[in-house]
Amino acid sequence: MASCRRMLLKVIILGNSGYVNRKFSNQYKATIGADFLTKEVQYEDRLFTLQIWDTAGQERFQSLGVAFYRGADCCVLVYDVNVMKSFDNLNNWREEFLIQASPSDPENFPFVVLGNKVDVDGGNSRVVSEKKVKAWCASKGNIPYFETSAKEGFNVDAAFECITKNALKNEPEEEM
Amino acid sequence: MQETEIHDLSDDADYAASQQQGSASMMRCESGKRSSSNEPEGAEVVYMKDNVTIHPTQFASERISGRLKLIKQSSSLFMTWIPYKGQSTNARLSEKDMNLYTIRAVPFADVRSIRRHTPAFGWQYIIVVLSSGLAFPPLYFYNGGVREFLATVKQHVVLLRSAEHANVFLVNDFQNPLQRTLSSLELPRAVSLSIVPSTPVSGGESASQENGERTDVDVLDGSPSIRQFYRRERQKVHDPARDISMQLLEKFSLVTKFAREATSQLFWETPSNAFSLFERGSSNLSAIDSSQKPRDDVLELPVPVPPDPLELDKLSLAWGKPRQPPLGLEEWATFLDSEGRVVDSKALRKRIFYGGVEHKLRKEVWEVLLGYQSYESTYAEKEYQRSNRKTEYEIIKNQWQSISPEQEKRFTKFRERKGLIEKDVVRTDRSISFYGGDGNANLSFLHNVLLTYSFYNFDLGYCQGMSDLLSPILFVMEDESESFWCFVALMERLGPNFNRDQNGMHSQLFALSKLVELLDAPLHNYFKQKDCLNYFICFRWILLQFKRELEYDQTMRLWEVLWTHHFSEHLHLYVCVALLKRYRGKIIGEQMEFDTLLKFINELSGHIDIDVTLRDAEALCLCAGENGSACIPPGTPPSLPREGGFLFNSELDDTVL
Repeated sequence: MASCRRMLLKVIILGNSGYVNRKFSNQYKATIGADFLTKEVQYEDRLFTLQIWDTAGQERFQSLGVAFYRGADCCVLVYDVNVMKSFDNLNNWREEFLIQASPSDPENFPFVVLGNKVDVDGGNSRVVSEKKVKAWCASKGNIPYFETSAKEGFNVDAAFECITKNALKNEPEEEM
Repeated sequence: MQETEIHDLSDDADYAASQQQGSASMMRCESGKRSSSNEPEGAEVVYMKDNVTIHPTQFASERISGRLKLIKQSSSLFMTWIPYKGQSTNARLSEKDMNLYTIRAVPFADVRSIRRHTPAFGWQYIIVVLSSGLAFPPLYFYNGGVREFLATVKQHVVLLRSAEHANVFLVNDFQNPLQRTLSSLELPRAVSLSIVPSTPVSGGESASQENGERTDVDVLDGSPSIRQFYRRERQKVHDPARDISMQLLEKFSLVTKFAREATSQLFWETPSNAFSLFERGSSNLSAIDSSQKPRDDVLELPVPVPPDPLELDKLSLAWGKPRQPPLGLEEWATFLDSEGRVVDSKALRKRIFYGGVEHKLRKEVWEVLLGYQSYESTYAEKEYQRSNRKTEYEIIKNQWQSISPEQEKRFTKFRERKGLIEKDVVRTDRSISFYGGDGNANLSFLHNVLLTYSFYNFDLGYCQGMSDLLSPILFVMEDESESFWCFVALMERLGPNFNRDQNGMHSQLFALSKLVELLDAPLHNYFKQKDCLNYFICFRWILLQFKRELEYDQTMRLWEVLWTHHFSEHLHLYVCVALLKRYRGKIIGEQMEFDTLLKFINELSGHIDIDVTLRDAEALCLCAGENGSACIPPGTPPSLPREGGFLFNSELDDTVL
C-alpha cells in the first residue's frame, strides 16, 4: 500500500524563467494561483507519476506558497541563462520555498536547478556561465544542475529523470 | 369565476389577538364560530387560518397578512383570502395592492391543482393553480397548517396526489382514470400525514419551528441516517445551519411580485403541463452537474454526503429570479432623459443585474457602470470628459514612450515591468479573433494601456492577471484611452487584490470561508478536515472575477452584473459559494484533497452556466442577508474606497517589480 502512494511525487517548479510552462504544461496563459499537471516518468523499471506544480510567477503571489508547496517531494528552481537577475533570484526562491514549505529536513531537501533557454540566439545572449551556476549549486549542498531548452525539449527528459531520483531520495527505504 | 362579496371580518382587535395568542388551533375554534354567523346564508366556514401571508415584493417588510378560509355553501367549497385592514407593513403597499391580491370566494370547481411546498427550512406555502392556468401568488402559512388545509379540502372535494409530483394535489381530476387509481394508492399516506394532530404550542414562532422540524423528517424520509444527522445538526446550540435556518424563517418567504408574475406566466404558457417547467429547471441543473442527483444516487458514492442545509435547488426556485433578456437599445433609452442623463440609476442597475446588457450597448453602459462616466452626465458632458481624458491619457503614455533605448538600459525596473507585460500580452486571449494572429494591433493596445497604467499607478505597477482583466474592456471599448480609464475605474475596485501584501485577496478568501460556514456548515467542516480553509482553491476565481472560468461573452455578462452592486458589492463571493455548493456532493463524495480539489476547480473552467450560477448566488445572498454581510470585513474589495481614504496600500519594495 505504501508503495502505491509513493508512485505519486509532488514537484514544485519555481523561478523567473518565463516560458518554462509552455513546454511543461502546454498552457499559454500566465498561471494564476496554482495549477499542476501530471507526467508519467519511468525510473529504474518503475513508473512514477510526477505531479508538477506551477505557481504564479510573480513574487507578490508568494504568500500562497504555504498551501501550494505543502507535501512537496522535490523543488525545481529554474532560471534563464540569458537573464542575470533570474539567476540572482535563485537564492530567494530557494529560501522562500524552505520557509513556506517548511520541510522536516531543510538541509537535505531535494532541489534541482534548471538553466533554461540555452537555445536562444545560438547561446550568444547567454550571461550566466555554467561555472558560476555550478559553484552556487555546490555551495547549496550539491544541487544537481541541468541545462535545458524547454522550447526544443533539449535535456528535458534527463532533467525529469533526475527530478524523480531526487524526489525519491527523501522517501524512507521501506517503500522499495 | 363567481364573485361573491365576502365581508372582511378581521378587524384590528382580531389581528392583535392572533398575534398575541398565536395558537392556530385556538384561533380556529374561537373566531371560527364568531365569523360563521356573518357568512352568507347557508355558508359554513370549515377552515380558517390566520397569518397567511403573501409577499408582493422581495422585501421581507413588504408583506400582506390575511386570513385564509374554506367556506362550504350548498355542497360547493370556496376559498377566500382577505388581507387584514390597515395591517400593511409598509406604506408602499397601498390599499389598491391589497385589493389586487385579495382572493374572493374562488370555487374549487375552478381550481385545478394545489402545489404544496414544505421546505426543510422556512415557511410552508401553497400555490393554487386555477383551471384557466392562472395561479395565485404563494400563500405562506406563518403558523403552519398546510396539511390541515389539504385535509380539509379533501373532505369536501376530490383531491388526488399527482402521480408525477408528490407535492402536487390535483383537484377534481377525472380525466385520467388510470392515473387516478394509481394515485389513490398513495392516498393513505397523504391522509395519515394530514391527520397528525398539531401539537398545542403557545408561541407563534415555536409553532413554525415545530412545523419546520416535522417537515425535515418529511422531506428526508427513507433515510434514517441522514435524518439523524439532520437532527443532530439542528440540536447544536451554536450551529450556523441553525442560525441560518432562523434567518430563513424570517426571510425565506419573500416571494417577489416578479416571482408571482413569473409563476402565473409559467402556468399560462403551458397550462397543460404547469409543473414540468419546474422539473425541467432542475433537470437542466443536473445536466450541468451529474453530482446533483437525488439523495439515493449520492448513496452510491463511497462516502455519505451530509445534506445541504439550504438545498440550493429549492432555494433558487423560491428566490433567484429568472434571468431576463439583456438590456436593449430601446429600453436603455427609457432610462435616459432627453440630454442623456440616467434618471434612476438604481432602477438601471437593478435591470442590468437581472439581465445584463446587449453587446452593442456595452461601451456606453460600462463607462457609467464602472464610474468612468457619471450617471448624471449629459451626452455633451460625456463627450467633453472623453476628450479631456484622452489628452490626459496621452500625457501619461508619453512618460514611458519618451524613454530612449539608452535610458532604458539604465532603468531596470522599467525594463522588467515592460518585459513582464510583453510576456503576458502575447498569452492573453489569443484564441479570440480580436486578439488572434501575429502582429495584431489590439495586442499593442493591451500593452500600451497596461504600461501606461503602471505609470499612472507606479506603486501598484503591473501584476499578472491585469492583462486578463483589461482584455474584455478593450474588446468592448475598442479605444485605447477609453479602455485605459475604464481599467483605472475597475482597478479602483480590484486594485487591492494585487497589492504586494495581498490584503485584498486575503480578506476576500477569509470572507468566503465565513460565508461557506454560514451557508453550508457541513461543507465548511469538510474543508476544515481537509485543511482547505484558506480557500486558495478559489484564488483564480476571485482575482480574475471568473474570467478564466467562463466563456468570453459570459465573463462580460457576469462582470456587468457584478458591477451593478445591486444587493451586494460582494456578489462574486456568493458566486463562489454557489459553485462550491453546486458541486458539494462530488467534492465530499469523492473525498477530494487539496490538490485534487484545486485541479477539479481549475477544470470547471468552461463548464459553468452563468445564468444558473447567478440565480443561485442571488438566492444565497438574499437568504444570508445581514449575517452574510457580517461575514465580509469592511473595505473588502471590490468595495469602492472611502472618500479621502487610501487607494492602494502598496509597499515600496525595490527587490521586486
